Amino acid sequence: MTFPELERAHRREWAAVLAATMRLTRDFDAAEDAVQEAFEAAVVAWPKDGVPPNPVGWLTTTAKRKALDRMRRADALTRKLPLLVVPDDDPQVIQDHRLRLIFMCCHPALAMNARVALTLRLVCGLPTGEVARLFLVPHATMAARLTTAKKKIRAAGIPFHVPDDLATRLPAVLAVVYLVYTAGSTDRAVELAELLGSLLPEPEVLGLLALIRLTEARAPARSRDGEPVPLAAQDRSRWDRAAIDDALPLVAKALRGGGPYALQAAIAAVHAEAPAYAATDWPQILALYDELVAVYPSATAALGRAVALAEIHGPAAGLAEADRLSAELGHYYLLPAARAEFLRALGRVAEAAEADRQAARLAPTAAETEFFATRAGAVDSPTPP
Amino acid sequence: MKYMLLLHEPDTDWTAVPQEELDKALNAHGEFVQYLTERGRPFYGDALRPSYTATTLRPKGDEVLVTDGPYVELKEHIGGFYVIEADTLDEAIEVAKRVPIGSGVEIRPIWGA
Repeated sequence: MTFPELERAHRREWAAVLAATMRLTRDFDAAEDAVQEAFEAAVVAWPKDGVPPNPVGWLTTTAKRKALDRMRRADALTRKLPLLVVPDDDPQVIQDHRLRLIFMCCHPALAMNARVALTLRLVCGLPTGEVARLFLVPHATMAARLTTAKKKIRAAGIPFHVPDDLATRLPAVLAVVYLVYTAGSTDRAVELAELLGSLLPEPEVLGLLALIRLTEARAPARSRDGEPVPLAAQDRSRWDRAAIDDALPLVAKALRGGGPYALQAAIAAVHAEAPAYAATDWPQILALYDELVAVYPSATAALGRAVALAEIHGPAAGLAEADRLSAELGHYYLLPAARAEFLRALGRVAEAAEADRQAARLAPTAAETEFFATRAGAVDSPTPP
Repeated sequence: MKYMLLLHEPDTDWTAVPQEELDKALNAHGEFVQYLTERGRPFYGDALRPSYTATTLRPKGDEVLVTDGPYVELKEHIGGFYVIEADTLDEAIEVAKRVPIGSGVEIRPIWGA
């Protein structure tokens, strides 16, 4: 698809068109096929006739016609279907459908990897092959996983609606968006978070959006020649200042909820606002980590807190905190990595090298293994002044 | 739709537990039944006798082997079940949350219902 308006419509409106069509077919596969056909019809019609004034309405109406044609063909006699498709272009209705689709795909009764895959396929309209590539599984495996998930939705009666108890169901949706982000589908995650932010401007939704934007804004400085660069050594002139400034008001709104994504976004914001590592407002960071550990205990939060402690009270305090955490976080590679830094700052180089080697063994990516192994080696041999 | 709620519990011989414990369990289920009745939600359900009373048939070539005991030997067994009606899984989950919970409650949609 090279026609730019159509490509934009595909990225932005796939979910809306699919959701509206599903209301008619009550069946995923039929709806997906019909939406696919509608986009194929647009490839022919739009360059010839011009882009319709309401692209979503055009696509939805076309998709519904296609779906109806199929249903009539499949079951011409027994079904009494309406002969006329009512144009479904009320923006409010379309938004509502899209939100229903998201909540259905992110239902807690589905396995987490199925939720992420379904969201990418059905909400973002990513082809099955691309979803498979993101998950590093063969196409057939992903197709089977999607089919099983869709069958469960149908057979178990997972509803196509926005739940009443938003507070309990929203975290599952946000976790899916965050996983889409960490799976490397940055653009899609930003689009999903923006979509959710516009449909459901709850503090935690804005918090997630701000967190993703701030993390993205700092991404260019995070690696050099494919190697990770720690925060202290990052070239801050490579951060996207405009994007950071855009995200800051979101953080302020999100913090009213005091949820885990808002707090993580606030921590990212404090880092983003510091002109240099040494100028970081560590007491503020520590206070935010204290809250984060209280509302949402996690390995990364506990470790972030240890680093903040070390920056305020010295490396011995950080090391004591890291050692206290080692019982629960023993297999988390960033724990020995942090210990290595504290030990090196205390002049205990041999122990630091051993901790770095441990981090290298536990690191999830080759680049990080390489980084810690190199650091361990550099400590072993005498370094030039 | 119809859903079966399978009540997984530590295997218990209810004829051998103290009266107090039995009353407590019966009251808990009584409250759940009252909850269903008050909302006019059709249901059926019952408790199962302990796993040592179970008999399992297994195919063996062309024959059927009759064996003593439950299909799977675990610490927990299916101690009882309810069949409820609900429009969606979310509704079924809301109902199932009120079942007196032992080790776990499994929600299974029933075919064709």
